[in-house]
Amino acid sequence: MEYDKILEDLLGRKEFLVVGKSIIRTDALDKALGRARFTSDYIQPGTVVVKEVYSTHPHALIKRVDTSAALKVPGVLAVYTGADVPGMNQIGYAIPDQPFLCDEKVHFIGDPIAIVCAEDEYAAQEARDAVVVDYDPLPANLTIDETLAKGAVHIHEGGNIAIESRIRKGDVEKGFSEAKVEIEETYETPYQDHAYIEPDVAYAVPEGAGKVTVIGAMQSPFLVREKVADVLGWKLNQVRVIQALTGGAFGGKDDTGPLVSAKAAMAAVKLGRPAALVYDRFEVTAYTPKRFPSRIHLRTGVDKDGMLTATKVDIKLDCGAFANRAPYWLWRQTVHATGPYEVPNVHVDGTAVYTNKVFGGSYRGFGDLAVHFAVDSHMDRLANELGMDPVELRLRNVLTVGKRTASDQLLDHSVGIEECIRGVAEASDWAKIREPRRNGSKVRGVGIGTAHHGISTSRGAPDWSAASVILNEDGSFTYRTSICELGQGTPIGHAKIVAEIVGAKMEAFHIEIPDTDTMANARPTHGSRGLTLGGTAAADAALKLRGQMVNIAAILFECEKDRVDLRDSVASCKDDASKTISFKELAREMYIRGANPAAYGFFTPPRRFFDPETGLGVSYPAYTFAATACEVEVDLETGQVEILKIWPAMDVGKAIDPLLIDGQIHGAISHGIGIALMESIRLDAGEVVNPNLTDYVIPSSMDTPEVAESILVEKPYRHSAFGAKGVGEPAIISIVPAISNAIYHATGVSFNTIPITAERLHAALRRGDR
Amino acid sequence: MNLIPDLEVHRPVSLGEALKQMEAPGAKPLAGGTDLIIDLREGACEARTLVDLTRVKELDYIRESEGMIRIGAMTHHTDLMTSGLIKTKAPVLSEAASLVGSVQIRNLGTVGGNICNASPGADTATPLLALGAEATLSSSGGVRTIPLGEFFAGPKRTSLDTGELLTELSFPTPPTGSGGAFQKLGRRKGCTLSLINIAACVELDGDTCSEVRVAVGACAPTPVRITDVEEMLKGKKVDEAVIDEVSSACYGLVQPSQRAHSRASEEYRREMSCVLMRRALTTALERARGNK
Repeated sequence: MEYDKILEDLLGRKEFLVVGKSIIRTDALDKALGRARFTSDYIQPGTVVVKEVYSTHPHALIKRVDTSAALKVPGVLAVYTGADVPGMNQIGYAIPDQPFLCDEKVHFIGDPIAIVCAEDEYAAQEARDAVVVDYDPLPANLTIDETLAKGAVHIHEGGNIAIESRIRKGDVEKGFSEAKVEIEETYETPYQDHAYIEPDVAYAVPEGAGKVTVIGAMQSPFLVREKVADVLGWKLNQVRVIQALTGGAFGGKDDTGPLVSAKAAMAAVKLGRPAALVYDRFEVTAYTPKRFPSRIHLRTGVDKDGMLTATKVDIKLDCGAFANRAPYWLWRQTVHATGPYEVPNVHVDGTAVYTNKVFGGSYRGFGDLAVHFAVDSHMDRLANELGMDPVELRLRNVLTVGKRTASDQLLDHSVGIEECIRGVAEASDWAKIREPRRNGSKVRGVGIGTAHHGISTSRGAPDWSAASVILNEDGSFTYRTSICELGQGTPIGHAKIVAEIVGAKMEAFHIEIPDTDTMANARPTHGSRGLTLGGTAAADAALKLRGQMVNIAAILFECEKDRVDLRDSVASCKDDASKTISFKELAREMYIRGANPAAYGFFTPPRRFFDPETGLGVSYPAYTFAATACEVEVDLETGQVEILKIWPAMDVGKAIDPLLIDGQIHGAISHGIGIALMESIRLDAGEVVNPNLTDYVIPSSMDTPEVAESILVEKPYRHSAFGAKGVGEPAIISIVPAISNAIYHATGVSFNTIPITAERLHAALRRGDR
Repeated sequence: MNLIPDLEVHRPVSLGEALKQMEAPGAKPLAGGTDLIIDLREGACEARTLVDLTRVKELDYIRESEGMIRIGAMTHHTDLMTSGLIKTKAPVLSEAASLVGSVQIRNLGTVGGNICNASPGADTATPLLALGAEATLSSSGGVRTIPLGEFFAGPKRTSLDTGELLTELSFPTPPTGSGGAFQKLGRRKGCTLSLINIAACVELDGDTCSEVRVAVGACAPTPVRITDVEEMLKGKKVDEAVIDEVSSACYGLVQPSQRAHSRASEEYRREMSCVLMRRALTTALERARGNK
């Protein structure tokens, strides 16, 4: 079935009822008034307080853990170490390299060694500080080069390389021989903290023997269930996971959700009492996964006509202590390594390495932010060398229908990047604002960035989603998914898809919070898949329910099924205006007549594949594309950069809700400004020295620029509901190169590393780095 | 980060009561708490007795009398920002207050707390120094008034004696023909700590600079006046060239931290002291010329 053609093919309508229109979010009032319930709001008095004992060494063998003094602290209930874990003491996501509680060695400052359980916070804190760990320190590898050096101490048994990836497409040497201009540079991107408002939290309640309920902040309730069950040595159906409304995640809680939940669950089950683990800002910033730092070496050739001839890329990914998502991150970087441009000859080598630092993990943009920063910085340099306008160079090489990606995937539809680039160029009056402008110590510049971002999981891993919808006896609907509400509103998008298909009013919907006991695994809220896959599972459920509703309505109206119209929560007969009934009446009829008033949806996109030798194949079902133009003003005396205006464009397939998309785009602009200009985790001998929001600086509302109206390009994807593609991650990717290229244009200084702080820019201007 | 330790908290309603409670060993005043609570959680404050001054309304005032502007120590940044008196007579101070932290911090934080926290980069310290402010210190034993410059004893250290409270900050009402300006450089535009800040106050007699005070923050162990710059300007006809010259001299006159992991490098702070000094003096002079 072609899900992008549901409207014409199955609903028999030409116009949309709710899809494509901006609505007020169904949860807006609760959140604005502080009535929405987050995990901490569920924690009851008398709950056991859980705290973690963290490694103070970046790399050491554990000689002994002495809990005797801690156990004597009044109010302490238990101290658990790796030896107490009832199931698997292993919680690695992609590679089993990550102990749940370290029992033999520690791999970074912040590695968990024990959990302390106490009646109150003070007792827990005192006991945590009283646990004595004897270490046998090992040399620490703190950089990519240190860990790859000959003779470097091994961080994990297999060595210091977690995984490798590659692409071999065409003949790069031949490609370079055809080039007129070649540029070779190394680009580095740093850690970035997610800085979500709500710190990580989990609350676990034992439910008699052999069952536990976990309520927590997370992005993948079913992954949490799997990891909690592993740690407890239980079956999946013994663990019930409920995702409470989550106060921001940006990828981070995909990784921390299982870690935090399993600790709370282990304490609750062992003690037979409700237990909660609540992080503070220090723990969040110092010890939880960050955006993976990477170093990308890029050599690109372009011929006299401005056509890219070859790209050779070396990617070094700094995993930190554990691989975590590195295999997926590295793969994504590998297959996106050319940016949204067609290059006939591509050679990519990727290596993910371990270091003794806080580990990397999921983060909005998932590897593609670093890749597009490198590629789009490179494009501006190439344009400069060729004497060609940067927009023109991009348009000559941009992916269009019929072209092939770096991994040789043929793009046969849903490719709107050219329209995005043209859109922002036109909206910003590109040719005019590219004219140099200086006023006193201030100089203005404008730059462009682009993005393409594959939907769904990487490495061809199987992917699917599930959803359920119930028509209640009063005509109201209950919608259920395990795609999480993290602030982005994806479940509301699902409900709109369902409302469109069953013809219901939006206010008829209640969206359940995810609960693993009530449905099959709908998979995580990551990989920009929540709308594309989750929304299509919702459409599948809605189409089934619609069929059941139409059946009964047709019987009541004594008409053919295709003459039944459902809209505004009313069923009517298209041929006889007197024949109408409300959904309340229709629902009652369905229940009375034994017609199933509920439906269950399940969806999987077409399978992908790749050849591990060459990396070639079908990497992702679809890609979201974006472009951003950015105008900056640089203060040449201080190095300060002010972002004056941003023009965003995105090929979203089909906009389910333009206002929700704007929310993602505007949020991503601030988010991108953060990593482009100011955010920096600083380490000293492996220790994070700025684990707070005083010195881990993120943009304030005052740093928010003017944002032009979002240009939404709609090139529907065939296998998703109404053709919609995910927007949350792609929204951030093009912001960073747009900013760095605008600074390049304004000052002549091209930066290979971010953040471009005022101090760095000032120093570069002083040195005359042009 | 740790929990707030067990504390004894007094909540006096009068200054007299507060001063009595401050006599307890290790007692520490609580004003807005925007720095103190963090210090307590980080273990940077040893106090186990707090004297909460938020109900001592007699310390919350802004008034002008006998040629002096007097500000109670419990005056909030928001009040300095919005006070008509400060905005018209000492805009350098309202500007600085408007750039302290966020709305919430400005609503809770007080000028007395900002001064007593004695951060080298305290945003209200430099304008008060440039305005020639004095600090009034009270204890059960009596009251003394000292120049504000003498109040700062080092990073996060003051010259308050045991049992003493900062109760008032006062400065002569800036005369006609004077002008002031505040310049701040942070790591972002809003809610930011100063990497460096500079306040300048000048008085003109015709074209001649008859009086000038400049102060710099986050460029020495305490907020400080730069008297060398003042001497270079005093009695001179000031034009762009003079301003450029004295501003450039700042490079060698400031003493920024050389600590690793400092919020900005020593070099950057030295360079920015010159830029900000030039901008502050230029604006202050413009305002002085317009203040007739």
